[in-house]
Amino acid sequence: MKISYDWLKEFIDLTITPRQLAEYLNQIGLMVESVEEIEGDTIYDIETYANRPDTLGHLGVAREIAALLGIPLKIQNWPLTEIDQPTSDFIDIQVMDSHLCPRYCGLVVKGVKVGPSPDWLKKRIEAVGLRSINNVVDISNYVCFALGQPIHTFDLNKIRGSRIIVRKAFKDETIRTLEGSLIKLESEMLVIADESRPVAIAGIIGGEDSGITEETRDIFIESANFDPVSIRLTAKKLGLSTEASYRFERNVDINSAPQAAIMAASLLNRFGGRAARGLLDIYPNQKKSRTVTLRLQRIAELLGVEIPADFVVRTLNGLGLKLKEQKENVWIAEIPSFRVDLEREADLIEEVARFYGYDRIPSEVTPVKHFELPSDFKKEKIWSLKEVLFHHGFNEVINFSFADPEKESLWQTGHQAIHLQNPISSRASILRTSLLPGLVENTVWNFNREAEGVHIFETGKIYFWDEEESPREILNLGILTSGIWPSPAWNEPGKETDFFILKGVVEDLIIYLGLDSLSFEPGDHPFFEPGQALKILLKNDLIGYLGRLKSDIIGAYELEKPAFGAEIYLEELLEKQPKPFVFKPIPKFPRVSRDLSFLVEEGLSYQELWKQLQKLNVPNLESFVVYDRFKGESLPPGKISFSVRFFFRHQSRTLQTEEVDQLMQDIISQLKTFVKIQLR
Amino acid sequence: MSILENKIREYRHLFEEHSSKIKEKREVEELRQLFFGRKKGLLTLLFEELKTLPPEEKKAAGRALNEFKEEIQQQLVQLELKAKTVRPQEKIAEDLTLPGWKPYWGAPHPLTLFQLAIEKIFVSMGFTVEDGPEIETDYYNFEALNFPPHHPARDSWDTLYINDKLLLRTHTSPVQIRVMEKKKPPIRIIIPGKVFRRETADPTHLPMFYQVEGLVVDRGITFAHLKGTLEYFIKALFGEKIKLRFRPSFFPFTEPSAEVDIECIVCHGQDPACRVCGGSGWKEILGAGMVDPQVFKNVNIDPEKYSGWAFGLGIDRTAMFAYQIPEIRYFYENDLRFLRQFNRK
Ligand SMILES: [Zn+2]
Repeated sequence: MKISYDWLKEFIDLTITPRQLAEYLNQIGLMVESVEEIEGDTIYDIETYANRPDTLGHLGVAREIAALLGIPLKIQNWPLTEIDQPTSDFIDIQVMDSHLCPRYCGLVVKGVKVGPSPDWLKKRIEAVGLRSINNVVDISNYVCFALGQPIHTFDLNKIRGSRIIVRKAFKDETIRTLEGSLIKLESEMLVIADESRPVAIAGIIGGEDSGITEETRDIFIESANFDPVSIRLTAKKLGLSTEASYRFERNVDINSAPQAAIMAASLLNRFGGRAARGLLDIYPNQKKSRTVTLRLQRIAELLGVEIPADFVVRTLNGLGLKLKEQKENVWIAEIPSFRVDLEREADLIEEVARFYGYDRIPSEVTPVKHFELPSDFKKEKIWSLKEVLFHHGFNEVINFSFADPEKESLWQTGHQAIHLQNPISSRASILRTSLLPGLVENTVWNFNREAEGVHIFETGKIYFWDEEESPREILNLGILTSGIWPSPAWNEPGKETDFFILKGVVEDLIIYLGLDSLSFEPGDHPFFEPGQALKILLKNDLIGYLGRLKSDIIGAYELEKPAFGAEIYLEELLEKQPKPFVFKPIPKFPRVSRDLSFLVEEGLSYQELWKQLQKLNVPNLESFVVYDRFKGESLPPGKISFSVRFFFRHQSRTLQTEEVDQLMQDIISQLKTFVKIQLR
Repeated sequence: MSILENKIREYRHLFEEHSSKIKEKREVEELRQLFFGRKKGLLTLLFEELKTLPPEEKKAAGRALNEFKEEIQQQLVQLELKAKTVRPQEKIAEDLTLPGWKPYWGAPHPLTLFQLAIEKIFVSMGFTVEDGPEIETDYYNFEALNFPPHHPARDSWDTLYINDKLLLRTHTSPVQIRVMEKKKPPIRIIIPGKVFRRETADPTHLPMFYQVEGLVVDRGITFAHLKGTLEYFIKALFGEKIKLRFRPSFFPFTEPSAEVDIECIVCHGQDPACRVCGGSGWKEILGAGMVDPQVFKNVNIDPEKYSGWAFGLGIDRTAMFAYQIPEIRYFYENDLRFLRQFNRK
């Protein structure tokens, strides 16, 4: 909202400089966003709020300044030159819906000479950022920006039947607006109609063929009050936003309608117009003024500062409230009709605080009586997992939650995507059902910008409709690696990334969480090349997938290099509780190791072998590692060789060589019952 | 002299020859193997040979052989001790200024870092961190927060809808309601998270960004507490010397409401054409206020007994200001050349 310093002077005697004024406006919350100097005037662009329609006119802003400075508002005088004929001789007003139009004032001005505005009027109109059109249109804008009350002027002679009917639109009724567009009205929309057709969309915009032209002589001034919700719904539906609708949506002062009509008529007098006698004012259900109780004690309780009673009374009186002391330091405040925002005690306390100055309220520490433990340690766990990923060389990314339905469909995520009703674009019209598409896009972006390798991850939600048609959002972890893995040594080249770089970090994440039942199973999945993917399992629960991304899919993103990706159901993973941690004593006696190499059938996987090794029941066998897997021409066809190192330890003495030899024999014989092995 | 004794002499020479060259422990072990190897050791073979001798020769030869065995065993011990003190030849770099061995590490996203920095400050003041759903109902996102239906106040929270009932939360404030519904005061929480607005992209706006919300509810909470806590927070984030101001504002869910501006750290109000503050010298950083009594009523907390304050801050915009990042889109383009700059802090 643009406010002119000169214009404010019509309402108050300003002795402060324009610069000081800007500071005062800021202090009371009418934030000055910019200041401009035009032809000796200073124009402030101030931030106004949805609950303060009174500040959408110079009068309201002047009232705030007057209250702050403790000066009175000037009384404005709008004399009328009248003809001796009542208004009702020229127009008949009928309000069919007093809920949607609680007040309607009308006045007729005859014999106006329509023409260009004089300089003083032009200056005001341009100050608030409008273009001067002619004296009549400019006057209605002038009144609107002075009082915050929108008015509309009709060419009286174009109102058919000399009748104004405020009613809801009929089905399929249309109107051509002042802007020239033809609008089809709907039956819940309020219109201003004459005998045969709508001449304005109430509170929003006037009709073209009842508007003011150069030929207009006689004018009908409408100054009314409309239901804010109805105006908003109609304006939104029609995609229209005007100075009028903007104000009516915010609830214009019901008592400003008569004043605005008279002000407009008085101004039209200056252009030859003479008003008909008597303002028509249809206001069937008079609104009573509201009262609010205010306790001085409560002000201190809420603000944390004792504000003197006389300051409270002076400030609120200055703002137009009438305070009556009920008992000591408790007042009944009568709220003026222009302050639609003041309804509760807290609202009045804000007024006191605003004018007292937020900077004068002290700063104190918020007391704390007890500390609360976090309900879970999910956030801490997520951060630890991110640290594992950083250590492994993965960079964190954050992608939009929106996705392109066409591209997402390539992935066959198996989730029913959630569509947005009013997306910003069709390419961002669903919510993502996987993190990997975003990671692939990031990869392509970076390969196109000098990157040799892209190793990234994201933790974030995916969204979908579940079987019960309820929206679900679950936290996932996506990881992707593609291209060159940089070498730690400055003089050695990096190497191509591979599946095991990805698998390593996945394994470490689980270890870091203290979970020990991780396993993998071959599992085909639409994201991955057949035979090149694994399911990630914790006990029997599937917690994700990893594998080589299907070249068809990533090819659609123009990613030509191999890429390996994983998607982990983080939320499920974080719910798994590790066994409570207790340290293991450091052994006192030395361990002994023995190696064993043997041949097995080629199909035996590392993980299967590991499972079998875990079944070994041999005393003093502390642990084992598989340290080699070999396949070659020196071996019989269809066989592979594994090498395992076994570690033995006795808790209370040193093991003898012969004992260990015997234990190895036990291992070999037990192992033979689990797997077909052949010693090398 | 028997053949065996001859061999002993020969082997003594051999042993001396070998031992004189020994430097490393490994070589001692090789020498031991040469003489005492289980199958082919020279001495092992000699003892085998001893068994084949006639009894009259056996005695003398046996004594000589045993003496020789002890002799070289002792020498081997000495050699081993000596070898220990002989260090292997170390490789010494010619140029110590060459780069070290550096495994590739991953970088955290700057928004994560900034969020963490904010969380740490509040956690140090006894706040706990909460979260809530990103898909919300109109009730939690608007109505419970005192936005009447069809009120223009909603205009500043342009909404992406899923259907008539569901929407993407436009702020983290619905979590305030969810927490107050299930928990009695005292409440002392912050809520970081993603929020969504139906806004067209420009240098400072995107349809998705991060916010952090704070809420304190207890008996006797005042506006002075709000000021004190937020002042501490901003100083902890931007440094002790940063200037800030509170000005009145409007939010449907707080009353009184405030906005907090901090001094422009780029121009300190000295540059009328400053890209960051537009020459005003101030940068709006957060919105705050005392919890509106209607919000308390909506969650069955008695506003006569309890009061509280809340604030909300855009993490992206604050990070942009702190790091002087000109465009918000950088955060979501995920260009590694951008992301990998933020490893400090
Ligand atoms: Zn600046």
